[in-house]
Amino acid sequence: MLDLTSTSEQKTLGRSRREYRMEKPPAQRRKQQPGPAALQVAGINGLLQMIAAGRELPDVLGVLCRFVEAMAGVCHCGVYLIDWSGPKLRNAAATSLPATFNDPLCGLPVRCEGGPCASAACLGTQVIVEDVETDPLWQGSAFRALAALHQIRSCWSTPIWSAAGEVVAVFAVVQHQPARPTAPQQALMGLAAHVAGIAIERAQHALALKRTHAYLAQAQRLSVAGSFCWRVATDEFVWSEQLYHIFGFNQAERVTLELMASRVHPEDVPLFNDAMERARNTPGDFEYEHRLLMPDGSVKYLYLAVHAIFDQYNQLEYIGAVQDVTQRRLSEEALSKARSELAHVARMMGLGALTASIAHEVNQPLSGIVTNASTCLRMLATNPPNVDIARETARRTLRDANRASEVVTRLRALFARKAPTTETVALNDATREVIALSLSGLQRRRVILQPILAEDLPPVMGDRVQLQQVILNLLLNAADAMSGIEDRPRQLLVRTEREAGNRVRLSVQDSGIGLGAETAQLFEPFYTTKSEGMGIGLSVSRFIIESHRGDLTARQNEGPGATFSFSIPCEPPSPTAAVRQMRVL
Amino acid sequence: MTIAAARPLVTVIDDDQSVRESLPDLLRAFGYSARAFSSAEQFLASDCVGESRCLILDVVMPGMSGPDLAQELIARGINLPIIYITADVDEAVRAHLPEPEARRCLIKPFGDTALLDALKRELQNESGE
Repeated sequence: MLDLTSTSEQKTLGRSRREYRMEKPPAQRRKQQPGPAALQVAGINGLLQMIAAGRELPDVLGVLCRFVEAMAGVCHCGVYLIDWSGPKLRNAAATSLPATFNDPLCGLPVRCEGGPCASAACLGTQVIVEDVETDPLWQGSAFRALAALHQIRSCWSTPIWSAAGEVVAVFAVVQHQPARPTAPQQALMGLAAHVAGIAIERAQHALALKRTHAYLAQAQRLSVAGSFCWRVATDEFVWSEQLYHIFGFNQAERVTLELMASRVHPEDVPLFNDAMERARNTPGDFEYEHRLLMPDGSVKYLYLAVHAIFDQYNQLEYIGAVQDVTQRRLSEEALSKARSELAHVARMMGLGALTASIAHEVNQPLSGIVTNASTCLRMLATNPPNVDIARETARRTLRDANRASEVVTRLRALFARKAPTTETVALNDATREVIALSLSGLQRRRVILQPILAEDLPPVMGDRVQLQQVILNLLLNAADAMSGIEDRPRQLLVRTEREAGNRVRLSVQDSGIGLGAETAQLFEPFYTTKSEGMGIGLSVSRFIIESHRGDLTARQNEGPGATFSFSIPCEPPSPTAAVRQMRVL
Repeated sequence: MTIAAARPLVTVIDDDQSVRESLPDLLRAFGYSARAFSSAEQFLASDCVGESRCLILDVVMPGMSGPDLAQELIARGINLPIIYITADVDEAVRAHLPEPEARRCLIKPFGDTALLDALKRELQNESGE
């Protein structure tokens, strides 16, 4: 007979299984023999130990079933997990029942009329079938046929609840004769369902944790990122698997600061030590980059984001994520190299634009030298030799030769291909040199150049030649912008000045055709308004200025023409920034 | 024949100081008298326009260029032989020198004999006309 009379009571029993022992009427306990009670405690203890030790779920449930079978007398026990996605029962532990019973049972859908276990799961109540043969509910059901086949007469199904209030399994007790549970048997089943619930939930948590861990490990592998925890007071480290992989250490190795430092790129060791020191002394979140030098000589670039926390004993702990950004860095470096090549091309194009000026600059003194030397020879060949004029022509020869030599020196500096350097640059002097080099070219293009150089200009830190290339580029652009101007003077103003925030600004103001509508595109590579020109000059110029931590801007004048200017800071960059900057350059 | 006619005046017009200083001495060594100006405008304002027998003229100068001056002289009805000089052969082409002049233009640095040949040719042509 189906027992639905105590639905609410049974449900309460299942849900509050953790308090089950307290709910049990004390009178029943006293009636039990000391022997079985002691056995029961020992058995439950053993099961809880198995659960705590993380033993496999089928093992735990198997032991549970045998324990209940031993305690309750002639019966068979089984725990059937419910797969709600089916929904189907899954045999978790019914070792004393044959597969010919278990397998068909597990194939049955979990529906109220499916059988006592399915019914218990669907209704969330204990279902007591005293006699399968006489119970009207199961007449004609697949369960009844199955039970008859195995001479099973009674079946008691107790739902097993999760903490979240979901039926996760059913605890079943079957016997070969009609029976109703006694109070001690009922108590035992409640206890068994309670323990099974703990075991199942624990197993599910372990599985979820394992999955999460696997996802995390996979995510770390995919993102080439690792994580760590650093207990500062004791210098204890916990590393993720991927972090071991990044550092190239065996997971058996104990992580120490010394071990980490042994992998840090020698050039970055001071940075690393400095960062560790700061992390120790001034707790807080920070980001940080350094390189590793691997045993095979390869270099890895790491990016660390670190978060400070204090544990329950107010001890400082850092939790950090480490990303291997080698690929990104290498492509940045490749990009930077490509830019540097481009800068060289642009310089060469500047050279092309300057050819006339250079030819002029060099050929003028050469012309003087040839003419003076010719005259000198002729003066010496007369009779008597005209020594005064000969001396004068020799003096002029020397002067012109020096002049030609200076031009060559300036050109060599400006167009040489050399690695960028950081030095103290007097921007006014650098500007004067560029002006000297391009002046005659500008004059012949009827450009009136007026330098207004601030007297008190502080020096800047940077690459002199690169900055000169930018200035030259701006001058040539300005001259180009004015080449078609006939109705007004081709005025070119080169101005240097101090700016707030310890910066200096250099502006080149022309009276040319102006910027037009496409100001935003000006600095894009290959944007050009000139018929002969690749349009790299301004984009490269901007790259150079940005690598000097400055900015290059263009604006339309209030009158005709445009002004291009750049502003760069005077003080040297911070050491970390310097390292990064040098890597980008 | 006057002494002035025996020592014809050759005028140098160039914005470059080296040329202005060196050429007159060489021209005198050749037997000409010589004057030098740093721009076409200065030359036009001087008393040498009528006296000059030949111009040694830089092609590209700030302000009025060599060809500009040649046009101006023609406009004034002054027919002067001109020897163009330039520091850059492309410049001569860019400045739209007429073909014969562009071909005969002396490219700096030029030798003394090249200059002397050009002078002789130009002054020969002039006396022949």
